[in-house]
Amino acid sequence: MNADERRSKKKGLSAFICVHLRLNSSGLSRRKFLSAAIVGLIPKTDPSIEGGFVFESQQWGHRIRDRASFPAPKRQVKIPVAIVGGGIAGLSAAWRLDKKGFRDFVLLEAESAGAGGNARWGENEVSAYPWAAHYLPIPNRSAVYVRELCEEFGLLKDGRWDEMTLCFSPQERMFIHGRWQEGIEPERKWLAPFEERVAEFRASKKFTIPMELGGHDSPLDKLSMADWMRQEKLNSPALDWYINYCCRDDYGALAADTSGWAGIHYFASREHEEKGPLVWPEGNGWLARRLIDKLRGYIRTGAPVHRIAKRGTRWSVFAGDVEYQADSVIFAAPTFTAEYIVEGASHVDFQYSPWLTANLTLQRMPRDNGAPLSWDNVIHDSPALGYVDNTHQSLRRYIDRTVLTFYWALAQGTPAENRRLLLSHDWNYWKEAILTDLERAHPDIRQCVSRIDILRMGHAMARPVPGFLASESRRRAIAGGGRLYYANSDLSGFSIFEEAQYRGVKAADKILSG
Amino acid sequence: MPIVLFVSVFLIAACGLVYELIAGTLASYLLGDSVFQFSTVIGCYLFAMGIGSGLSRYIGRGLVARFISIELMVGLLGGFSSSILFLAFAYTQAFRLILYLLVVLIGILVGLEIPLLMRILKDRFSFKDVVAHVLTFDYLGALGASLLFPILLVPKLGLVRSALVFGLINAGVALWSTYIFKDQLGQPHVTRFSCAVVVAMLIAGMFGAERISAAADNNLYADEVIFARDTRYQRIVLTRWKDDIRLFLSGHLQFSSRDEYRYHEALVHPGMSAVPNARRVLVLGGGDGLAVRELLRYPGIDSITLVDLDPEMTHLFTNHPYLSELNGHSFRSPKVHVTNADAFPWLEEHRDSYDFIVVDFPDPTNYSIGKLFTTSFYRLMGRHLARNGVAVIQSTSPLFARQSYWCIVETVKQAGLRAYPYHVYVPSFGEWGYVIASLEPYEPPMTLPAGLRFLTVAGLPEIFRFPTDMDWVDAEPNRLNDQVLVRYYDKEWSEIAH
Repeated sequence: MNADERRSKKKGLSAFICVHLRLNSSGLSRRKFLSAAIVGLIPKTDPSIEGGFVFESQQWGHRIRDRASFPAPKRQVKIPVAIVGGGIAGLSAAWRLDKKGFRDFVLLEAESAGAGGNARWGENEVSAYPWAAHYLPIPNRSAVYVRELCEEFGLLKDGRWDEMTLCFSPQERMFIHGRWQEGIEPERKWLAPFEERVAEFRASKKFTIPMELGGHDSPLDKLSMADWMRQEKLNSPALDWYINYCCRDDYGALAADTSGWAGIHYFASREHEEKGPLVWPEGNGWLARRLIDKLRGYIRTGAPVHRIAKRGTRWSVFAGDVEYQADSVIFAAPTFTAEYIVEGASHVDFQYSPWLTANLTLQRMPRDNGAPLSWDNVIHDSPALGYVDNTHQSLRRYIDRTVLTFYWALAQGTPAENRRLLLSHDWNYWKEAILTDLERAHPDIRQCVSRIDILRMGHAMARPVPGFLASESRRRAIAGGGRLYYANSDLSGFSIFEEAQYRGVKAADKILSG
Repeated sequence: MPIVLFVSVFLIAACGLVYELIAGTLASYLLGDSVFQFSTVIGCYLFAMGIGSGLSRYIGRGLVARFISIELMVGLLGGFSSSILFLAFAYTQAFRLILYLLVVLIGILVGLEIPLLMRILKDRFSFKDVVAHVLTFDYLGALGASLLFPILLVPKLGLVRSALVFGLINAGVALWSTYIFKDQLGQPHVTRFSCAVVVAMLIAGMFGAERISAAADNNLYADEVIFARDTRYQRIVLTRWKDDIRLFLSGHLQFSSRDEYRYHEALVHPGMSAVPNARRVLVLGGGDGLAVRELLRYPGIDSITLVDLDPEMTHLFTNHPYLSELNGHSFRSPKVHVTNADAFPWLEEHRDSYDFIVVDFPDPTNYSIGKLFTTSFYRLMGRHLARNGVAVIQSTSPLFARQSYWCIVETVKQAGLRAYPYHVYVPSFGEWGYVIASLEPYEPPMTLPAGLRFLTVAGLPEIFRFPTDMDWVDAEPNRLNDQVLVRYYDKEWSEIAH
């Protein structure tokens, strides 16, 4: 791509990225020249970087959206319960049914590579790595099912959290003013007034996880997080950056597009019984993997459900060339897809944030200035969220190769624009965008990376926009009906493990209670 | 009058030689292999002087002004040469490049000096006198400098200040020349002003010399470097001063051959002698083989397993004539099994238990080493202890890093082990601390092996007593998810280095 092509793009984010690419490409050559002059006199060329897009499912998704026709089923299977979707919500519904001794069900997962949803993971010769969710905060006592799962998997024993899983020091660092500093929080003087307000909200006990247990209507949901900050006169640039970062990180949205209630929930809902979070090289894939191993007998992979229709008292669930005739259905896939799949389902007004994640395999560690490589590494002046080091929990003293997971919530501009942007550019474009972003902090990153695999997700997670709490379609979806129960974490407004698990367990309980 | 001119020649010749010696010495100090460093530095320097002499023919008019500005440039570059090189070594990856660049630049400038001076003088004296006198004083200056440098300059002034002093001499010659040749100089006031600026800068450098050395300190060694190697894991440096050999790993002193017996006797015997019938011993770290030397005093030991990260380290201490003599050729004992592995995963992967475990890691200067001082590590270590077994942990200085020391003690306790802190005095380290960790109550031994130079049975109770200034202080335990020890350590040692 040449500079003119780049300049001709007019859309917000695209232009934004391009400006950065252009600016940095001139900076890059200067840096390259300098480092060549100082280090070896021989300019080093970029070693070839391999990679591509992974888990591309847009085509299939768009066929469903466009109501394409699918071949008739080859066989029928009668089954009391069908779970649609093998992310954490679907797996948790299965976990609950199995635990309660209910064994007559299938879990239908579209992906042929395996279940996992936003807890998908990968592994290569260097390390395992996550594709999306990469940690579990220490669950509150109110998150009883999460704690039950943690005990089952040996993470919580006699009230103590497994020290090999608690995130090792150093946890976080941020690249700012040309060097890495420990921690990403703003100075006390900016943070303290905000934390005082948060402490009041926490004391109110209305901000809980699962969120369903707390209060439901709140005036805070009527305005955006950014508006609330202004209203409270919490407007220092440092705090503003931090709150925006947190909203981008958790909801894929800017503070201006996030419900004030959700923005506060992130801070006010957590107790701090131990210095966490719980982390693994493969992120939440560690949890997904164990759930999948346990529930292997119920899971049908490569079974994309394209239609669910009422036939008398039963539901016909069409997955690939099989028609499952089920008494009850747990719909654990993203709720917005129901409109296109479930007969009679109406449109939901949920919004979703588009994301890009990338796994970078490093053959050597990049040079650093300041605080040492941490678990979470944030670049202050970046539109992206930074990266996670997947070998962080290694017990080794000396580590010379790693896999970094790079996160980028496309929060600037509208989701629809950004979805188009994600699809309209090739792997090479995104590879350059990622490397250019990382070069701010690691001038030699190109010499370190041997592979970049990229996952683009148009609807990566639910976005809790102002008004989501009071949303009528959210209420309807939670209620379900006709023995079809929705279970995706988007019913909570935001995509976190605890909410997905809670929704899955509750859907299973509705079936168990008849 | 002529003698004054030839004194100038003497001085600039001395300056030129001193910069060359400084570059050669610094390169040998910092990189080791002094034959190579001196040969290449002298070669480059002489070659560059040749370039300078050749270039002198392109200088036509205004000879005196040019000569003075060259003197000032030599004074500045040469004067700050050792500062630049020290800082380059400490803060950049490009020490060699900067070294040779500096040598060539100074060489070219110095190469210009004598031809220009000869041309300035050629109208005042006959050619044969100019050549004879200039060259005589040039070589005399070289002799003076080469004698002064090792005898007076390096011991009294150090490298940073020596260079600055000679920079001042160059600037002095420049200033002086503005008076001697004032009839051949267009604007003597302007020239004198630039001389004054250079002199001021060099004097300021003299006052800042202390800070320059301190800034580069982490990577500097007081004595001659006799071995230096960057391995995959660390930088190994050996220095020698008379009979004192010192080992530095990544800039941190590990031992001095003069008093290491104190450190290693105290590390091994209070714990080892207290274990009855100890047969199996594990050493974690300790790639210098000195702890193993002490262990081999116990004939009852059947096997010693040593786990050290760096194969180059154990290889060096197995094969280097002096170093293997220092550790009594301990790595050649058939009882000793050397494994090069990362200690934490190694402990996780193995199941054996040991009667005595020596934990001799470098101080917790960063989070990577800090992992080896955590509750998780000690709990794992405890699982490798035989029922009556004892472990000993090198635990930094309870005097200089008091909270760090007691943090390690607290960490051992939090790991469910009994902790017995003790300390000894090692001159090259200062007061040094250890912790004995055990499952069963520990009592100091009633006997020690024969032939010790430092420890006595009667003196043992004393090492377990802590004077007020290094007695217990409150500290959090060091845990993998909250490495307080690295923060304590960083704070305490940076206070000492101020």
